[in-house]
Amino acid sequence: MKFHEMTARETAEGIKKGVFSASEAVKASLDRMKRMEPALNAVVTSLEENALERAMETDSKRARGDDLGPLGGVPVIVKDNMCTRNIRTTCGSRMLAQWKPPYSATVVELLEASGAILVGKSNMDEFAMGSSTEHSAFGPTSNPWDTDRVPGGSSGGSAAAVAAGYVPLALGSDTGGSIRQPAAFCGVHGLKPTYGLVSRRGLVAFASSLDQIGPLARSVDDLALAMDVIAAPDSRDSTCFRDPRPLYSGAFPDVAGKRVGLVREFGGDGIDAEIDGAVSEAAASLEKRGAEVVEISLPNAGVAGLPCYYILAPAEASSNLARYDGVRYGLKKDAPDLISQFLATRKAGFGPEVKRRILTGTFVLSSGYYDAYYLLAQNVRRVLRMEFEKAFEKADVLLMPAAPSPAFRKGELVDDPIRMYMTDLFTLPVNLAELPGMAMNTGYAKNGLPLGVQLVAPRFGEKVLFGFASALEEASGRPSVAGGGELS
Amino acid sequence: MSRGLQTVIGLEIHVQLDTRSKIFCGCSTDYIGAVPNSNVCPVCLGLPGSLPSPNEKVIRYAVAMALALGCSISETTIFHRKNYFYPDLPKAYQISQYDRPLAVNGSIEIETGDGPRTIGITRLHLEEDAGKLVHAASDGRLAGADHSMVDYNRAGVPLAEIVSEPDMKTPAEAREYVVRIRQIARYLGISDGDMESGSLRVDANISLTGPDGSLGSKVEIKNMNSLRALEHALEFEIRRQREVLSNGGTVEQETRHWDDASCVALSSRSKEEAHDYRYFPEPDIPELHISRHMIEDIGSSLPELPFNRKKRFQSDFGVTEDDANVLTERREIAEWFEGLVNAGSDPKRASNWIRGDLLRYLRESGVDLRDAPFSVAAIAELLGMVDSGTLSNTAARDVFTAMAETGLSVEKAMAGAGISAGGVSGKDLAALVDRILADNSDVLEEIRSGGDAKGKKLKFLQGLVMRETRGQADPAEAAGILRERAGVR
Amino acid sequence: MAVSEEEVRRIALLARLEVDQAEVEGLQKHFNDILAHFHDLRNVDLGELQPGEGERKTVCPLREDSIENWDGRESALEEAPSREGDFFITPRIIGGEPDEVS
Repeated sequence: MKFHEMTARETAEGIKKGVFSASEAVKASLDRMKRMEPALNAVVTSLEENALERAMETDSKRARGDDLGPLGGVPVIVKDNMCTRNIRTTCGSRMLAQWKPPYSATVVELLEASGAILVGKSNMDEFAMGSSTEHSAFGPTSNPWDTDRVPGGSSGGSAAAVAAGYVPLALGSDTGGSIRQPAAFCGVHGLKPTYGLVSRRGLVAFASSLDQIGPLARSVDDLALAMDVIAAPDSRDSTCFRDPRPLYSGAFPDVAGKRVGLVREFGGDGIDAEIDGAVSEAAASLEKRGAEVVEISLPNAGVAGLPCYYILAPAEASSNLARYDGVRYGLKKDAPDLISQFLATRKAGFGPEVKRRILTGTFVLSSGYYDAYYLLAQNVRRVLRMEFEKAFEKADVLLMPAAPSPAFRKGELVDDPIRMYMTDLFTLPVNLAELPGMAMNTGYAKNGLPLGVQLVAPRFGEKVLFGFASALEEASGRPSVAGGGELS
Repeated sequence: MSRGLQTVIGLEIHVQLDTRSKIFCGCSTDYIGAVPNSNVCPVCLGLPGSLPSPNEKVIRYAVAMALALGCSISETTIFHRKNYFYPDLPKAYQISQYDRPLAVNGSIEIETGDGPRTIGITRLHLEEDAGKLVHAASDGRLAGADHSMVDYNRAGVPLAEIVSEPDMKTPAEAREYVVRIRQIARYLGISDGDMESGSLRVDANISLTGPDGSLGSKVEIKNMNSLRALEHALEFEIRRQREVLSNGGTVEQETRHWDDASCVALSSRSKEEAHDYRYFPEPDIPELHISRHMIEDIGSSLPELPFNRKKRFQSDFGVTEDDANVLTERREIAEWFEGLVNAGSDPKRASNWIRGDLLRYLRESGVDLRDAPFSVAAIAELLGMVDSGTLSNTAARDVFTAMAETGLSVEKAMAGAGISAGGVSGKDLAALVDRILADNSDVLEEIRSGGDAKGKKLKFLQGLVMRETRGQADPAEAAGILRERAGVR
Repeated sequence: MAVSEEEVRRIALLARLEVDQAEVEGLQKHFNDILAHFHDLRNVDLGELQPGEGERKTVCPLREDSIENWDGRESALEEAPSREGDFFITPRIIGGEPDEVS
C-alpha cells in the first residue's frame, strides 16, 4: 500500500471502506516522516503518541459503524503558528520554543471534528516572516526535490511534508505568498483563500489584514475537500465572514467560454525562462479546453505591491509582536527590572529578520512618518484593490507565475533581505487585494525542480480557481511525490 | 501678576460600562473581589492567536450616553490600536478610538453660583480597560516594590471616555460637571459611576489664561479618587500655578499625580521617551455601522433625563427647586415620587415623606429601593390616610416603620402596631385631655397665669396627649382643646 | 531621506529591542534601502480614487452580551514564566507609570 502517493480523499475512502485501517495509514505516515526527517527537517514537533491513539479510536469507531467524518483517519500536518491545545506551538521562534497554548485554533478544531489526525507541527520562517524557511530557530527545512535548496517560505515545512509524502494534506498560512511560493518550490498545490473565508482565531498573527490559512495538497480535489472542512464562519473572528460557504467539492465549473487573463507586467524579463514557459503552456492548455486568453494590465501591482506590502505588513507585525515580553508566556530572560526584562527577552527571543521587520514597522508608524508611509500605503492598497476589480471585468481568472524562479539554493538570499522580498513579487499583491490565489504544480524543469503557475480569481471565486486548476491538472497530471534528496 | 488670570479646566471622564461581559470577549466584568486572573480567557489575556469580538451592549450603552449628552453619533466608527509597553496591557496595545470616535459635539447644563451654564462635550469614545498591578511593597506603592503582580480580571472591561471642552472655570464647576455626568450614567443604568471603586475615573487638565487672553500651559492631573479630591487637587494646582506666575516663572506642561494623603499634586518623573503611541486602525475589527434604526430605538427608550425631570416636577407638581433636586437625584427616587403623585398623593406630602422617612430608611437599612418590602401603592394608601386625617403624621411614621420591617400591608401593620384608624377625637379626646391636665395641674396653672410666653409648656402637654393617644389624635384638635382649657389663644 | 543612527536607536527603544553598534549600522543601511523602494509608492496615481472606493467591504458583526466561562485559566497560569499563586509576576518597575487608562 503506497500511502504516501494517495490523496486525502483516497485515504479517507480507503479507511471508510475497510481497505486499510487508520492505524496503518497513520503508522505509514509516521514511518516515512521518521525516515526522511534527518534530511528534510520539515517538522518541529512530531505527535506520534497522540496520533496513534487517535488512529486506534478511529478504527474502533469504524468497527462500531460510526461516521468517521470527511477526513476520517487521514494524517495531516499544520504549520507551527496554529495553536494546538497543550501541544507546543513555536512559530519557529526561540520566543515560543516551549510554549503550550491553552486553546486550539478554530481550524485545528475543525480538522479534528472532521476526523483528521494531526501527526506533526511543521517548520516555518520565524513568525511567518520569510520566504525560504531559513529563518527558523529550529534549523532550515530542505526542499525534498534537492536538499541543497530551500523549500520556500514561510510555510516551507508544510509544503515539504506534502511534497515528500509524509501526509496528503497540510495547512499553511499566507501573508504575502507563504503558501503559494513554497507550494511552487516544492511542486505541490497551495491555496490562499479569499481574506475572511477561513477563521484566523488561533493563528498567531503576523499581519492581521493580510494573514490567511489555507491548504496544501497534491490534488485540486483535496484542496476543495480541505476547504469544505476549514472554510466556515466563526463568530470569534470579526474579520471572518458570517455567510454560509458553498460546497467546494464536487463538479468544478467548466473553463469553456471563460476568459484567462495573462498579466502583461508579470512576464518577460526577470522571470526564469522555464517558468515563463510554464505559464505559456498553461495558457495554451486552457485555450485547448475552450477558454479565451486575453491580455490584462495591472500597471501598479508589480511596482507598488512590494513597497506597499513592506510598509503595511511590518507595521501590523510590530504591533502584533509587542506582546512577547516574558510576563505571561514564552521565553523570559531574568533581569533586575521590567524594561531590562523586556529588552533582554526580546533580544534573545527574536531572530534578525523578525527584528528587522519590527523595527521597520515601528518606524513607519511612528509620529512624523505615519502620513508619509503608512497612510500612503493604505491608499495605494485601495488602488491595487480597484486595479484587480477592473481586471476582473475583462477576465474570469488571472494566470501568472507563482515565483520568478524555481527553488533557489540555501544561503543564496538569506543575507539579502530585499532580494528575498522580491521572490514574493507575484504573490503579495493578491494578499493586498484580499483575493483568492492558488499555486499549482504543472511540471518539472530540465534540472528536475518543480515548475508551476499561479491562478488568481475575484473574491469568493475559489470554485472558479478549482475549475481552471482541475483543467490544468488533467492536462499535466497530478504532482509526483519527491524522493527527499537526489534529483533523478 | 496674578490678577486677571482666568482658570480653564477640562475634564476627561472614564465611565466603566456595566455590561455583563467584557468589550471584546465573553468574560465576566465582575472583577471586584474576584480571585485574581479568574475572569480571563485567551482574548483578554492577549494570548497569541486571540482575536477581539465587540460586544453589542457596549455599543448600545455608549450610544445611549452619547444621546443623553446631546452628541452626534457617527454612522460609521472604527477602533484604533494605541501601542505602548506596560505589564497591565496584555497585548502591549490598547484597543481604543482615535480620529473616528463613536460620538462628538454634545453638551450638558450644570448649576453654578451664577446660574446654569453649558459645558461642551468634545467627544465620547470606547476603549478597553487594562489589568491591575499590585506592587509588592509594604505600602503597596510602586516606589520601593521589588516586584509587581498582575491581575488581568479588569483587562477588557468596557470604558466610555467622555472628553469635555475646557469650559469649566472653577473647581466647584468641575465637581458639578462630574456629578451631572455621573447622574446621567446612573439614570441610564449603564454604570455605577462610583469614583471610589473606580467605575468612574476623572483626569483633569487645568491652565491659567492671562488677562490678554494668552493661554497658559496645560497641566494634567490624575489619580483623584473622589469628588473632594478633585476639588482639592484643582484648588492646589490653581494656587501653585498662580504662585509660579507671580514669581515670574512659567508653568511647565506636565502630568501630576494627586496625593490625597499629603494633599499635593506631585510631578511624575520625566519619561525618557515622549509618548509615541503609533495609532493605526485596528485591523482585527472591521468598521462598525451604527444604524439610524439603532439610534432611534435607543433614543426613544431613553428615560427622562434628570435636568428635564427636575424642571417638570417644578412646573407640573409645584415642588420647590430644592425638593426637585433631591427628588431627581436618583432615577428610582424620582420614579417613586411620580408614582405616589399619580396614585393620588399630595405632591408636598409625598416629597416630604420621601425626603424624610424614605431616604432615612434607605440610609439606615442599606436596602436597595428596588428590593423594598413596601410598594408605591401601599405608601400612597398610607399617605392618603394622613391626608384625610385618619392618621396623624406620628402614627403614620410608626405604621411605615412596621411595614418596612415586616413587609405587611398598611392595614396589617396598623393592627400590629396597635393603631386603629379614625383615631381619638371629639368627646373621647376631650376626656383624655382632661385626664392629662388633671395629672399636670401645676403646668396648667402656669399657663393660665401667663407663664408660657413661648408656648413651650402647651407643647409639652400636647406631646403628652399625643403620646397617650399613640398619635391617633388629630394634633390640631388636641391643641384646640388644650388651649380652650388653658384659656389661651 | 537618510535615517540617522540616533533615529534607529529611538525606534529600537520604542520597540523594546536592544541593538548594538553593528546592528545599528546594518539597520541604517536596511532602512535607507527600504525607503528608496518606498519611493515607488509616490508614483502611484491616487487621483482617480473616489472616497470609499477600494475600501475593505466588511462590516463588523456584534456579539451578544452574555458570559462565557473559559476553563483554561489554570493552563494559562501554568505557562507564566514567573508566577505567584494567582498572579503573573514582573520584576521591579522603575520610572513610574505611563499615561495609561487609570
